[in-house]
Amino acid sequence: MLPNKSILKVEHLSISFGGLKAVDDLSFEIAQNQIYGLIGPNGAGKTTVFNCITKFYTPDSGNAWFHTKQGKTVNLVDHKVHDIVGLGMVRTFQNVELIKELSILDNLLIGAHSQFKTGVLAQSFRLRKAVLEENEYRTKARSIIEYMGLGGKDAELVGGQPYGTLKRIELARTLMSNPKLIILDEPAAGLNGTETQALAGLIKQIRIDFNCSVLLVEHDMTLVMGVCERICAISFGKKLAEGTPTEIRNNQSVQEAYLGKDE
Amino acid sequence: MNKSTTFLPTLMPMLRLAWKKAWFRYVSFGVVLAALPLIPGMTSSNATILGSVVYFSIAALGFQVLLGYSGQISLGHTAFIGVGAYVSGYIVKELGLPFPLAVLAAAVLPFILGLVLGLIALRLEGYYLAIATLGLAESIRIVFIEAHGFTRGFSGFFSNYPRVLGYQFNKGSTYVFMVAILVALMILVYNFINAATGRALAAMRSSQSAAQAMGVSLFKYKLMAFAISTGFAGIAGAMYMHFFRYSDPTIWNSGLSLNLVVACIVGGIASIEGAVIGAAFVVAMPELLRIVPGLGSINGASFVLSGVVIILVLLFYPGGLVNVASDIGKLRSRLSKGSKHPERSTEYVAE
Repeated sequence: MLPNKSILKVEHLSISFGGLKAVDDLSFEIAQNQIYGLIGPNGAGKTTVFNCITKFYTPDSGNAWFHTKQGKTVNLVDHKVHDIVGLGMVRTFQNVELIKELSILDNLLIGAHSQFKTGVLAQSFRLRKAVLEENEYRTKARSIIEYMGLGGKDAELVGGQPYGTLKRIELARTLMSNPKLIILDEPAAGLNGTETQALAGLIKQIRIDFNCSVLLVEHDMTLVMGVCERICAISFGKKLAEGTPTEIRNNQSVQEAYLGKDE
Repeated sequence: MNKSTTFLPTLMPMLRLAWKKAWFRYVSFGVVLAALPLIPGMTSSNATILGSVVYFSIAALGFQVLLGYSGQISLGHTAFIGVGAYVSGYIVKELGLPFPLAVLAAAVLPFILGLVLGLIALRLEGYYLAIATLGLAESIRIVFIEAHGFTRGFSGFFSNYPRVLGYQFNKGSTYVFMVAILVALMILVYNFINAATGRALAAMRSSQSAAQAMGVSLFKYKLMAFAISTGFAGIAGAMYMHFFRYSDPTIWNSGLSLNLVVACIVGGIASIEGAVIGAAFVVAMPELLRIVPGLGSINGASFVLSGVVIILVLLFYPGGLVNVASDIGKLRSRLSKGSKHPERSTEYVAE
């Protein structure tokens, strides 16, 4: 099913909405500790692929084999959307989904939700184990806030932060869940050139410091070509090509999909 | 005199420090609330109104978890207060079991009822959930009318003040007991709202996608909020039964359910204090209106005013009455300093 050196293997994934085949028999495989890119022109179905493997959508057919952080191999298609993060795969959203009325620290703590073991009763009575657990994740959240270069902003509300900061908070939130695979939906969207450069460095650093793989969907070619070790290019839900950044850049059909065909 | 002047400077910083702790604020509030009937000139009927405020605060607090914190609505929660009232009354009066057990049963039974009904009803959202709960409440009210052996129907169920371990409560001590229950529940709610559960509810309210992606099961938390609110409603019912010592099906009407919604919105949505302030508003306002010359004689004036106030609050003061004190404080500091008002406090983060 899934070789040991891989973290995620998507097999023959298909989903259609009405008559439209959004993803059509797509297969790809991500190695452990790899930074993998999924690219394609607008409407190619990139985000739909994300939504399928994170179970926001249920694919019509196909499998998504995943090595969980518990050391098991599971088919993500068989799991519920809120169970995915506990297995070790965590995502961001194209349009930044944060809780505006909460502080940055609290937003990160939501990222640790799947890690919390105490229930509502233990929390209500502030039992020792609940307090210890809360403090443990608060400490972790503070260190991640520091790590992301947002030190000192713990108590600030998320609402009203600049866009680049919001993107960072969302990325920081993913780190709270001890992920094996982080999937980023257009992390560079809305960022300027300098910010994108910084993001590229950050993604590489996160991969080393948190010992995880990264899958990113991206429009921004500088980011993709700069950080990804392997890229899958799709168009109209179908795979065009897969390979190293150089191979993808030189691929005829990828160029055609992006730039149009020479007549 | 001399002693107090040296005592005060050491006491004040300690008090200020303790005031930062929610439990201290709630206990202080409880002490003041419990002492209110002792004010000279307080009539017995005013003390009854206070009892009404306290029992309704318990129900409103539970309803706040549902409406304010989980973002769901129910228009039938009075039915669960009624269930709590009859269950506790029946257990003490007919089965002769101790009062604490009756309160426990009055909390647990509606809680389980809420779980079971929630399993069905929570597949619905928004208006559909509102209509389903409204219908449900009406059918439970019919049960109150028809289950004569259990509720005495329209003849009404009479009960006594609580008796615990040989101690017979009177009106005053029952009131104090209710206040203690309210304060305890406020602290419990504060604790779980400012922990992982509260964050999960906030996430669910604000972005369902984010909540799900972070591992929050929407159904589980919706159900939990629903069951907590029905459990609190049951406790409120038990308090009602043993403070007013009477219950009949006309009390548990849909108007009272609407009052829960009004209380949470007018008091301040997603606020523990707001639920209590809102409960005080909906219970005390009709009584206050009665004193106003002219208005007092108009039937249903309080309903009209409730409606007007809810519209005014939603349009112009969506934070609710709970913010009045802090907004006045901000306004004063702005007027005196002429500077920008301070940022909104996020004290629960710092704690």
